[in-house]
Amino acid sequence: MTAYAFSGRDTVASAGGGIAGAGTLALLACVVLRFPLAIPWAVLLVGAGYVLARAHHSVVDGWAAIVGAGLLLAAELAFWSIESDRRIHEERPLVVWRSLTLTALVVTAALFGFLLVGAAAVSAAAGLLLTALGVAAAVGSVAVVLRLVR
Amino acid sequence: MTRRATPKLGAYAALSAFGLVAALVLGRPEIVALTAPFLLAVSVGLALGASPRLTAELEADERAVEGDEIDVRLTLAATTTVDRLDVFVRLPPGLTVVDGERARSLRLGRGEQRELELKLRADRWGAHRLGPIYLRARDPLGLFVAEGMLARTPELRVYPREDTLRRILQPRETQVFAGNEVARRKGEGIEFADMRPWAPGDPLKRVNWRATARRGDVWVNESHPERNTDVILFVDSFAEARGQDASTLDLAVRATAALADAYIGRRDRVGLISFGGILRWLEPGMGTVQLYRIVDALLDTEIVLSYYWTGIDLIPQRTLPPNALVVALSPLLDGRSVDALLDLRARGYDLCVLDVSPVPFTRRPGSGVDAVAYDIWILRRDALRHRLQRAGIAVAEWREGAQLQAAIEEVRAFRRHARVARA
Repeated sequence: MTAYAFSGRDTVASAGGGIAGAGTLALLACVVLRFPLAIPWAVLLVGAGYVLARAHHSVVDGWAAIVGAGLLLAAELAFWSIESDRRIHEERPLVVWRSLTLTALVVTAALFGFLLVGAAAVSAAAGLLLTALGVAAAVGSVAVVLRLVR
Repeated sequence: MTRRATPKLGAYAALSAFGLVAALVLGRPEIVALTAPFLLAVSVGLALGASPRLTAELEADERAVEGDEIDVRLTLAATTTVDRLDVFVRLPPGLTVVDGERARSLRLGRGEQRELELKLRADRWGAHRLGPIYLRARDPLGLFVAEGMLARTPELRVYPREDTLRRILQPRETQVFAGNEVARRKGEGIEFADMRPWAPGDPLKRVNWRATARRGDVWVNESHPERNTDVILFVDSFAEARGQDASTLDLAVRATAALADAYIGRRDRVGLISFGGILRWLEPGMGTVQLYRIVDALLDTEIVLSYYWTGIDLIPQRTLPPNALVVALSPLLDGRSVDALLDLRARGYDLCVLDVSPVPFTRRPGSGVDAVAYDIWILRRDALRHRLQRAGIAVAEWREGAQLQAAIEEVRAFRRHARVARA
């Protein structure tokens, strides 16, 4: 994501890449120092760097869904790494189940992102507020379905 | 179980809210695409994060002997699905895990029951309480955590491993009941005591035919009866010297258990006094039940720091029968126990002391004032033992690694050869 933010050719894009790079380093520091409270700030920095790098682009970036899913994956893996304790023996079925759950979540998040980006690109005139409401509604409906199934 | 939200939930919710607001302010649809995954994670977590309901039960053997392996079984039963359950069984000192893990993460489905097995080794005697058991349950995304503790756990009583004693100390006085000790008085028995002229009522089997033929009158044999004795085991629990794995109190308790077993096997009455910061006593009794009472009482023996002056006056008279043999096991570190021993001797008790030596649990400094102080301490201990011997108390030093039987033989030799010096 940092490299993607750096891939822009102007100064603003480079600044965005730098901020994203700082966020990446911050995330690594969180994992090494086992400091979970700083993970959202690191994610925020990376996201802000990406947004800044896209500042002068008028076209909606199709990769935003991947970036969003990637940010979620990075945060989840960072939290998992900090929570794991070598003194606690984790059973293999549990590790497999957690991996599958995380994979499903990230893939679903990417799909939602693609739907959102696609909807935003097609209905740009309808306004951002409506788009955001649409996303929230879609996510809320997923939550209700899962609650009923459980 | 107490349920609460984790910092992750707050972080994801804050990121979502901030992202949506930023998207509205800046007018960038990409920001919504960056935020949507975190919003999805929060929604899924809230939807799936139900309160976990489960039960836990710990079972273990109730009794064991030092060095034995014990099987412990933890049974977990879940009424609802628990996506991630961390289980930790706290173990007291003196128990070591041989097989299995005492900290484990697992997943329980709805209605599932799991048994986790642990194999422990009992390294030290004592009354050990297994647990508590700590439980921590999380939802699939780790947004909520529920923590609980199972405090009601079984107690494991580990008995000291006893040395087998071939010979023990013989008390000077006997009691009225039948036992294994040859009494000094004359009566019905096997051991030959004396001869006397026949008197009406003497049975024919008592007649000494050889003496009768030689003397011309009827002479009969007299014998010593076998009687039981009273033995009081006196454990000094004021202070101990402790090494890495063992202490003088550990040795004293093991020796006390061995002596109790040996004397009760001879049908003697055995009592116990634990003389220390906490004063405990057990009146003399016989039989296997008394042996278990003594060993159970020994399991509760511990060093409790106390500055209170304790004398033997506090001990009930029934616990210290007048003709009893008192066998004391003491490291002779505390002046109160030394004074109590001298007081017992002054009151006329038949007293022996096994000095459970603290010297192996110490290390002589290499040089300097500390080395001199250490040597003086060793000399003072020798002087103390000599002082007890001059008072008529048989004392033998018993060091870790040496046979208890050797120390007992040393005490026997003193009692056999020592005579009271009268000025």
